[in-house]
Amino acid sequence: MSSIGEIPGTAAPQSPEAEIKTEGPGGVRRLIRQIRSARGVPKWILYSGIAIVLFFLILAIFAPLIAPYGFAQSSSGGVDFPKQAPPSGAHLFGTTVQSTDVLSRVIWGARTEIEVVIVAVFFSLSIGVPLGLLSGYVGGKLDRGLVLVMDALFAFPYLLLAIVIAFLLSDKLGQGIITAAVAITIVYIPQYFRVVRNHVISVREEPYVEAARALGAKRRTIIGRYVFFNVIQNVPVVATLNAADAILTLAALGFLGYGIQPTQAAEWGYDVQRAISDAGAGIWWTGLFPGLAIVLLVTGFTLVGEGLNDILNPLIRYRRVRKPEIPGASPEADK
Amino acid sequence: MSQVRRMGIAAALIAVLAAAVAGCGSSGGSSGVIIRGTTDEPVSYDPAGAYDLPSYDVIYAIYQNLMTIPAGQSTPVPEAAQKCEYTDNNNQTYQCTLKPDLKFTDGTPLTSKDVVFSFERNVKIAAPAGGSSLLANMKSVEAKGPNTVIFHLKAPDATWPFILTTGSAAIVPDTYPADKLQSSNNVIGSGRYALQSYQPGTQTVLTKSDSYTGSDPAKNDKVIIQYYKTSSDLALALKQGEVNIAYRSLSPTDLDSLKNQSGIQIVSGNGIEIRYLVFNEDLQPGATAAQKLAIRQAVAYTVDRQAIASKVYNDTVTPLYSMVPQGLKYATEPFKSMYGASPDVAKAKQVLQQAGIKTPVPLEIWYTPSHYGPVSADEYAEIKSQLDDSGLFNVTLKSTEWNQYSTAAFTDKYPIYQLGWFPDYPDADDYTASFYSKDSFLNDHYSNPEMEKLLAQEKASTNDTERAKAFSQIQDIGAKDAPTIPIWQGKQVAAAQDDIHGIELTFDPSFIFRYWLISKG
Amino acid sequence: MTRTHENSLRTYLLTRIALAVPTVLILLTMVFLLMRVAPGNPIQAALGGHVPQAQIQAREHRAGYDRPILTQYVEYLKDALTLNLGDSLTDHTPVTTIITDNGAATLELTIAAFFVAVVVGVSIGLVAGRWRDTPWDVGGRMFGIVIYAAPVFFLGFLAQLVFADLLGWLPVSGRASPEVTATLSQHTHLFLIDTLIDGDLNAFWDCFLHLILPAVTLGLVTSGVLIRLVRVNLMQTMKGDYVEAARARGVGERRVVIHHAFRNALVPVITVAGLQLALLLGGAILTEETFNWPGIGFQLVRYLNERDYIAVQGIITVFALAVVAVSVLIDLVNAFIDPRVRYS
Repeated sequence: MSSIGEIPGTAAPQSPEAEIKTEGPGGVRRLIRQIRSARGVPKWILYSGIAIVLFFLILAIFAPLIAPYGFAQSSSGGVDFPKQAPPSGAHLFGTTVQSTDVLSRVIWGARTEIEVVIVAVFFSLSIGVPLGLLSGYVGGKLDRGLVLVMDALFAFPYLLLAIVIAFLLSDKLGQGIITAAVAITIVYIPQYFRVVRNHVISVREEPYVEAARALGAKRRTIIGRYVFFNVIQNVPVVATLNAADAILTLAALGFLGYGIQPTQAAEWGYDVQRAISDAGAGIWWTGLFPGLAIVLLVTGFTLVGEGLNDILNPLIRYRRVRKPEIPGASPEADK
Repeated sequence: MSQVRRMGIAAALIAVLAAAVAGCGSSGGSSGVIIRGTTDEPVSYDPAGAYDLPSYDVIYAIYQNLMTIPAGQSTPVPEAAQKCEYTDNNNQTYQCTLKPDLKFTDGTPLTSKDVVFSFERNVKIAAPAGGSSLLANMKSVEAKGPNTVIFHLKAPDATWPFILTTGSAAIVPDTYPADKLQSSNNVIGSGRYALQSYQPGTQTVLTKSDSYTGSDPAKNDKVIIQYYKTSSDLALALKQGEVNIAYRSLSPTDLDSLKNQSGIQIVSGNGIEIRYLVFNEDLQPGATAAQKLAIRQAVAYTVDRQAIASKVYNDTVTPLYSMVPQGLKYATEPFKSMYGASPDVAKAKQVLQQAGIKTPVPLEIWYTPSHYGPVSADEYAEIKSQLDDSGLFNVTLKSTEWNQYSTAAFTDKYPIYQLGWFPDYPDADDYTASFYSKDSFLNDHYSNPEMEKLLAQEKASTNDTERAKAFSQIQDIGAKDAPTIPIWQGKQVAAAQDDIHGIELTFDPSFIFRYWLISKG
Repeated sequence: MTRTHENSLRTYLLTRIALAVPTVLILLTMVFLLMRVAPGNPIQAALGGHVPQAQIQAREHRAGYDRPILTQYVEYLKDALTLNLGDSLTDHTPVTTIITDNGAATLELTIAAFFVAVVVGVSIGLVAGRWRDTPWDVGGRMFGIVIYAAPVFFLGFLAQLVFADLLGWLPVSGRASPEVTATLSQHTHLFLIDTLIDGDLNAFWDCFLHLILPAVTLGLVTSGVLIRLVRVNLMQTMKGDYVEAARARGVGERRVVIHHAFRNALVPVITVAGLQLALLLGGAILTEETFNWPGIGFQLVRYLNERDYIAVQGIITVFALAVVAVSVLIDLVNAFIDPRVRYS
């Protein structure tokens, strides 16, 4: 439900003060330098976001070691788990209607979410960014055609698109991780395309790019060396915010029943859907924990994105202005 | 008055107002109005366009049939007809005489031409979701005078009276279009109720008809059928008094929570809805026919139906030991006698060994997550763990949603899969011929000439003893060959407010929910 | 307006509309492909598992489902462009009826949710942006982030748990209780308005109670986005030249903030809010599913499950046209306000 292209600071800046002066590959180094030198609120936002995402990454990678039971395991050592049991010593988060352990499902669910998100973001990036670069720089008929298609995709209700694609693919690939990932990928390609393309268009007229062209540099070099590293600055912000959105979309698919089936993997959205019928009976633990997990992970990614945005976006970044030293007056601390 | 004071008074007023109105919550309707909540949604209120239970529900209320099954009984008796009988020796000509002075709710009289029109248009329109396949055995129908209707059947058929009781055989006025369906919010019948309004996805409203002259006139004035998306919404609506009755379908979890609720009663009766496992004999594991049979029999030995019934369904279903459910005439329990009431893993192992099959046998089992209720996922998780725990099988569960599932299952894509069955009419034929005949919709490549012979026999005969013998043999063969393995039969369960009476009267194998028997207060 | 001003506006308008046409065509084609390529059809959905495949195939042939795709495509385009949307295949309701009845429900929900989103989002966003990096700001931002991160159905789950189950105050499904729905006369299909027209206060209150939970849930989630936007816009505006100019003129800090910064910060919000409205319509699917709200999203999911091509195509067609219309409108408004846009 986000309109990534509309978030200020990620669209093509219009005022001169927003020019990002950079010399080629130095752009990446500059990016890292800016992050390192962040202070104050933006720094804490970024770091706490990173901490949360890291936490879930660890859960995802080490799930087999951390989770007490399997995601579809309903008994242990010949003893069946109780059905819909409240949190207790044996089952810290309680059990579900299928007698599976909620805590284990939350941990395994982290793995599912991370897998899908990484695959989806990776593919959207690798398709959307090059297309945006190409389209923005080359212009002409190719650009107009691509913009039309991307705008149409963008206008399509994103959830509906994901649902129908999940339908189509589930016949060939079953309702598993790949299907969900592909559905989400296709939904987000237009986002990257737009952002990158808009930025490329504004950068295209920069003096140093013109200079390179005048000097006879090949198109490939110009795009690859100068434009790419400049434009790439925006991508991490968009990517993390997209990751956050992708998780919500995956959970939404799971909630509606078009997502990953419980036989393939644990998924938080599906668990919340099954839990809603429990809510009527006063059973709160089957839905609360997976739901909180979604909130936490999405918040983590969003914090990273917001933090990065705060630090990198010149429009709202603090100007570290040194107050002039006036002889005789008491020195004032930097802001 | 100061600003603060004014705001304070305003706030107090709002609070009082809120409390007052919150206090008068839903009263669940005035007396004489019955509100039933359900998660089932109808397809069409034109008999030619419907073949599903929720549509039938309303069709039974607003139309009349030539024959009907009275509450609590299992054989058809005349309803709009005075008398119906076969008039030839080989059960191929069936004649009905109508009652005099029948009227539709718009005042027009109901005569034989309406009956003939109803049947002919049903077959002609052959609506995609309609039940014209039920009338497949009808060669022609004619009116003889204003009160007599004669059916000419293609083949001898003992089940024809049953077919006349189904929703697809309801009588419509000849003002309906002959070549397309009547719109669902504009229907006219001669039954106990008239349709007041229909809003797809929201509700159907029925009002008592004053021109109905038949048996069991309605005990209430108005019926509102409200549609809910999920079982938990429905349960909550009942708890909050928004509906009087919640019927079809409440999940076991919700039923449990309603059991302990004061002011709510749980009514249950025998049901004949079944669930079973189908083996596609071309795709299932096994190198020879004998090996395939052995695998099927081993599964039949291993499945623990009681565990499924109590653990997964909280005893809202009962274990099923034949494709014909208990409560129907001619039902036996061959799976119990052949494979035992509880699992026998030793026997299963033996059967597999004798056929030379290496264990664990890999099995790919499919189910569909919502069409047969979301509890299907839990049911098949349980089946998988039962089969895996025996050490003899290694199950991979797969699922897709209904649309793809219903195409793939019958076009040789799934080796073993879940299926459910709702009767067209409460006769054992509907539960055997549909599955065991070589032309069965299952397309499971099962064929047994002995079975074909027996099926033809029971269909053609109206003799009770003959049919009983044929069905007993059919069920035995079905258990021995086990092309399908029955798992459970569902009870009909409704939850209702304490002041509602009459539900238990209508819970019988016919599956007709008789709104007219229900009263409040 | 000067002559050139008018001309450029008209040119822009024409160009913009001309560009919308291929967009609409692409959307319609996408809808068609997606629905027809997906396996299954209404006949299969209704009769699968009950009737032999051969019979099903015969019926499909009669209904024309196995005609060449191209024929079906051309027919679809013709129908869509003449807005001849037909009747739904599964319950034979005219598609236009589906859209008016259920569209009104979604509209009611969307407007109410939007109202909540604006009230919550703008106020928190203004506070956060004005007092940047104070606890107000951080708290406001965190609220916005967390509330947006909570899926609508999870909030619905919590709402059910607390308000319906525990406290029993509010209903969680439907637009009104069954009896009210049965007796309501539908003038505008907007229940709150219809009950007021009828003068039925009991019914009005019933409908209002049913609207609270879905509207607040959807509104809160949307407010998360608005908080972010308003805050950033406010911060940018406060650094803007005209604010500096006002300060230089000696205008008091408070007036600067309220008169210039706040007002101008809201302008881009309005255009974005318009876009959010279109997205809300699509995103309402989840809310309507969660709360059993019989709107367009809810029906769409229903018909999608039943492979009812006609209904789904009709709904999405109208929706796509509406979204394109809204975006053209917004671009026009932008072009009217900001001349630079016209020449890009």
